[in-house]
Amino acid sequence: MITHTLTWLLAIPLLGSLVVLAIPSSREGVIKRFSIGVMLVEFLLSLRLYWVDYSTPGYRLVEQVAWVESLGISYKVGVDGLSLWLVLLTTALTPIALYASWGSIATKIKEYAFSFLLLELGMLGAFVALDLFLFYVFWELMLVPMYLIIGVWGGKDRVYAAVKFFLYTFFGSLLMLVAILYIVAAYKELTGQYTFDLEKLTTLMLPAVPQYLLFSAFAVAFAIKVPMFPFHTWLPDAHVQAPTGGSVILAAVLLKLGIYGFIRFAMPLFPVASQVIGPTLAGLGVFGIIYGAYAAWVQRDLKKLVAYSSVSHMGFILLGLFAMNRQGVSGAILQMINHGVSTGALFLLVGVIYDRRHSRMLDDFGGLAKVMPWYATAFVIITMSSIGLPGTNGFVGEFMILGGAFFSRGAVGLGTHWFAMTLLAATGVIFAAVYMLHAVLRMFWGKVTHEENESLPDLNRREAWALIPLVVLVFWIGLYPKFFLDKMTPSVDAFISDFSIRYRQSRGISKPQLADLKAIDPEETGSYVLAHHVEEGR
Amino acid sequence: MHEDASQQLTLLLIILFPLAGAVVNGLFGRRLPRSLVGFIGVGSVTVSFILAVTSFAELFALRAEDSHKAALIYQFYEWFSLKLPNGAEVPINVRFLMDSLSGVMTLIVTGVGGLIHLYSVGYMSEDDGYPRFFSYLNLFMASMLILVLGSSLPVMFVGWEGVGLCSYLLIGYWYENRDYASAGRKAFVANRVGDFGVLIGMFILVGVVGSFEFADINAAAVSGQFRPNFPVWPFGVVPSIATVACLFLFLGCTGKSAQIPLYVWLPDAMAGPTPVSALIHAATMVTAGVYLCCRLSPLFITSDVAMSVIAVTGTLTALLAATIAVAQREMKKILAYSTVSQLGFMFAAVGVGYFAAGFFHVFTHAFFKACLFLGAGSVMHAVHAHGDADIFKLGGLKKQLPTTRWTFLVSCLAIAGVPLTSGFFSKDEILLGATAQIFRSDDRLMVAVGWFTLIGLTLAAVMTAFYMFRLYFLTFTGEYRSAGESGGGHGYDPHPHESPASMKIPLIFLGLGAIFAGYLGMPHIVPVIGSHLPSWWGEWMEASVTGHAHPESMKIINIASGLALAAMAIGIGSAWVLYRNKSKDVLAEKVPARLYALVFDKWRVDELYDAIIIGPIKQVATLVGRTDMTFVDALLTRLPSFNARELGRFLSRLQNGVVQTYGMVLVIGVVSVMAMFWTPRAHLEGAVEGGTLQLVAAPGLGYEYRWDADSDGEFEGGWSANRIHSPTYGLEDVREVILYVRSPRTGASHHYALTEQWTALDLDRLDTGWRRIRSSLPIVARLSDGKVQLRLNGAQVFGKTDTPEIIELTMGRGTGIENVLMVPRAKVEATVEVRNAFGNVSTASREMTLPDGYLPERHALFLDATKGVSR
Repeated sequence: MITHTLTWLLAIPLLGSLVVLAIPSSREGVIKRFSIGVMLVEFLLSLRLYWVDYSTPGYRLVEQVAWVESLGISYKVGVDGLSLWLVLLTTALTPIALYASWGSIATKIKEYAFSFLLLELGMLGAFVALDLFLFYVFWELMLVPMYLIIGVWGGKDRVYAAVKFFLYTFFGSLLMLVAILYIVAAYKELTGQYTFDLEKLTTLMLPAVPQYLLFSAFAVAFAIKVPMFPFHTWLPDAHVQAPTGGSVILAAVLLKLGIYGFIRFAMPLFPVASQVIGPTLAGLGVFGIIYGAYAAWVQRDLKKLVAYSSVSHMGFILLGLFAMNRQGVSGAILQMINHGVSTGALFLLVGVIYDRRHSRMLDDFGGLAKVMPWYATAFVIITMSSIGLPGTNGFVGEFMILGGAFFSRGAVGLGTHWFAMTLLAATGVIFAAVYMLHAVLRMFWGKVTHEENESLPDLNRREAWALIPLVVLVFWIGLYPKFFLDKMTPSVDAFISDFSIRYRQSRGISKPQLADLKAIDPEETGSYVLAHHVEEGR
Repeated sequence: MHEDASQQLTLLLIILFPLAGAVVNGLFGRRLPRSLVGFIGVGSVTVSFILAVTSFAELFALRAEDSHKAALIYQFYEWFSLKLPNGAEVPINVRFLMDSLSGVMTLIVTGVGGLIHLYSVGYMSEDDGYPRFFSYLNLFMASMLILVLGSSLPVMFVGWEGVGLCSYLLIGYWYENRDYASAGRKAFVANRVGDFGVLIGMFILVGVVGSFEFADINAAAVSGQFRPNFPVWPFGVVPSIATVACLFLFLGCTGKSAQIPLYVWLPDAMAGPTPVSALIHAATMVTAGVYLCCRLSPLFITSDVAMSVIAVTGTLTALLAATIAVAQREMKKILAYSTVSQLGFMFAAVGVGYFAAGFFHVFTHAFFKACLFLGAGSVMHAVHAHGDADIFKLGGLKKQLPTTRWTFLVSCLAIAGVPLTSGFFSKDEILLGATAQIFRSDDRLMVAVGWFTLIGLTLAAVMTAFYMFRLYFLTFTGEYRSAGESGGGHGYDPHPHESPASMKIPLIFLGLGAIFAGYLGMPHIVPVIGSHLPSWWGEWMEASVTGHAHPESMKIINIASGLALAAMAIGIGSAWVLYRNKSKDVLAEKVPARLYALVFDKWRVDELYDAIIIGPIKQVATLVGRTDMTFVDALLTRLPSFNARELGRFLSRLQNGVVQTYGMVLVIGVVSVMAMFWTPRAHLEGAVEGGTLQLVAAPGLGYEYRWDADSDGEFEGGWSANRIHSPTYGLEDVREVILYVRSPRTGASHHYALTEQWTALDLDRLDTGWRRIRSSLPIVARLSDGKVQLRLNGAQVFGKTDTPEIIELTMGRGTGIENVLMVPRAKVEATVEVRNAFGNVSTASREMTLPDGYLPERHALFLDATKGVSR
């Protein structure tokens, strides 16, 4: 038996990256095989998390070691039903992205593998950290390898895109750091001791006004990462310039950290502010759904189209999250996985055609179904998943999110602005079909109009192996989502009821105090309570 | 009929066989020999048909035992679940159900589908994408069967969108033609618009009923659960939420079943191979909307508004499509518009409450329309026409294509409604429904809808007979007009030949069906004679489909039949005169050319949509695409970076080393800081600490405070450094009393400012569940001697008659009266004066609603005076 599973999960990519540094860069084959091998071991190890029992609320596999004792900083990690699937998504997608990269990355193989391993470490760390300082460290650690991946192995304007990506994200992070320091100080004032421990800090209840400010600081950091309209403009640039593997990881995992940040940190820490500002963020999400779809429709660069479709999809996730009921939050988490799978696969597919033609312009293609039938089949399947066809993963996620929004504040779900938001979000389903089928039409149907396209080879073995797991996941989640949902439901329920309790207790207080989480009858919680207070507040 | 029923694995197998066929042919088809591909394609559907027949036989036997509960069920697994705000968990089960309605539909789908698969073996034999074609076609069968057999809305929706996908793939089957692929996309997007409606309708239904199962929704509709007043944004309060739900669902039906306004995709869908047109775009998929309405007939029938909308939409579609069909030149185009028109008939039947009749037309239509399409395919195969065949280049084919001709003629007779063919029986029933509505209803709207439907459908029936026989005469009578062509010109193969057996057999079977299928649903009462006939169809459908009763009055029956016969005779007669053995479009010469051109251009509806819907949306999208990288990006990226750069430049210029400048900046700084401290900052907050109310003023260096907690102009104490004040409020301090009222059912809440006068609480808007019995006076409330009184004015609280007429409420306490929460809360105003070290004074006031549970002191009288309300 292995103990300290989570620490091993963090240690393996770290050790792997150090070993990669030690291998001479001329031994490219060894580096390639070794880095993939490390990631596969990592993936197999992470599967252990699935067999942990998540049926009661709380963190599992928690490890805590003091780090900077005088400041209350500790190395504290743990998983629950909310982060479980995100960890598995990360460990599953990273090897796929790296494997797919070996087709197109020809220079600085060693540095590329090193960056990827470091990136995996950062992402996993951010998903399992339960100490705000530790989280911040991993959150920033992630930024550096991604910056390098875009800036070194990217396209023509890679430096501009990389700097933009870095500055945007870094700006948000700094605001978050200030907010973290504020709550730590407030906690110190009340209890006389420093701590960055998330579980302790969530007992701190702040009055409404500081909550708004601090939540906004967190929200900016996370909204940039999501990305939420109007903070999304770094995304198309970053995606277009990043190499295929970078795009896959960026879309599949990095964006999820924004939403995860809301769930894990911003919402539990600032319940009143989340409850008041949340619907606005959901509204921006809905706006993003439609805005992203419109923008995607008129793109001529396929990769940009997929990037804007991400803006649209992430809008759905925001809507579900702030609906604050079981299907909304579960749907949001499931949709994060779905988006990781589908959009990750779409970026892989874009990479496939880019490797062959060194172009991603829709005008350069047409009639590819004739030349590359398997490629076309894979593309259409992923398209259907992306537009949420029932039977694929996208449908389950979107259905749960729409159901969450519809039933967010009332029994019939009517008579509130949530009904309007549900209607608008549901039109996103129509527009998704419009822009994705537009891309399919321009890429695959019609006659082959460019001579260069007539002899393009179909998917090769490496590309097929990278895609098959994703296609399997598309149908697995689509047909039997309970496998995934059952693990997260208890945690989601606990998340919502904790949120309601904290919300009730911290509403209307005038100075910081510590929560007494057992003081409130659990019967009185749930979205009913939230709805009640929202109505009163109006 | 729920859990106790034994599992019927056959239902699952009916779906799995075609699905397996689709997967095998899709993955390995290119490596398999053609004959095996065809065998898998046809075989899987045949097995499915046989299984469907055995299941149906079992259902039939069950039905003989117990006429109302008969249904076969297979519960596969739980897909996922939703949780309603009341805490109820709604599972979404992958469960299949075969009752009398879905049983018949399954037989149609597998039976007609099997024949069309067989036909395709011959028809597609030359095509390169043979395995792909069968894979798609099998996938379609599986999706359609999921749609039909699904026992709940979400499972049906899987099939519903699945058939949409297959339709998309098959319309664009010859994808090398960009226009065909575009037609596929148009179909998919139009269907998606409809699917949006189904999605929303589904949520509304589950919100009211708490279940996705058709059976539960129907039971709820029958028990009147949809009746209470519901607040619905943006419609205000609706008397029956069924109307809203039905209209959303019907939007879905207009998409799938090609009704106004979403019908435009169906004519373009003829780009697909002919068997596809026959199977998907005539016999099965497009009737899914009618099927859904029948499935939920107990729900639809509760909403007169929705039913009227459906009847009018159906009639308008029937008329509009029929007019277009009259002027078209191509076989499949004419048949496509004919399908749209016939679907309009079906919806009109649904709209007048004759669900069984509408579905009967689905049944008969499946035979004769599939036969017509396959006949057209046979003609095109014979003359080597690609895509579609221009009837003005055909003619006289009855000699070369005898089988095709006879089956085509029989189907034309059926669709025109010639007595004793299947179409006669079904169309007659629909007209009977419209006539019956005129005589049954007292409601003026319903009578008007009845008249409109009857007249509209009669006209459409005339046109149906006319354009079908125009098509028949121009194709099969007269001279073959491409005989002289060499083949390379614009005409067709000069030597047409009859199709192979695999194509003829389906034609014959379907032709027989076109005649005899109607005998299952013979009229209840024969017109003129008045003798009763056994109507197997009506009795069989009764178990799962509701509807208005058939009239017994001979007058009504005779009117309907008379109109049907007259329409048929006029239509066929005029086509006979104008087109028999003719080669020109005689009608075109007799009507104004511009009108004819307009009709030929399909009333230019596509162009209209382009101009008013698609165009503007595309413009907005273009605008978004352009501004995103310029305006939005500029605002968030370039503007800050510009600012940072310019600020840096400006600040670096300040560091110029001139001491005077530094001194000036210093002076400005000192003065600003002084000014800031000159007047004190006054700010006041109210908060509850440990059960006592506290007023908290903003802190400041050297500040002193003076309090006037009730803002009566007299300060309660002198200046002190204490910035927290805990006053006690009395009754005389209360400025205003606000009554908060909240209904937990909908979550809606209102508040009212109370005075000494009675104030009406318009609780109707709140859906309180209270009912007035005695008077139309509203429920009122007032302040009386510091007490809050509520007079119910005869409102009855859930049937309790012993509720006191006047109820007194406690200040600051929530009182639940049945399910309605009422909280009267006092408003007070507090003032604080702040003085700083300079002696300057500022004042801040704040109005506060005293929080829940906070009881003003000396208000014991509030409590004492209140009877019958628990604390």
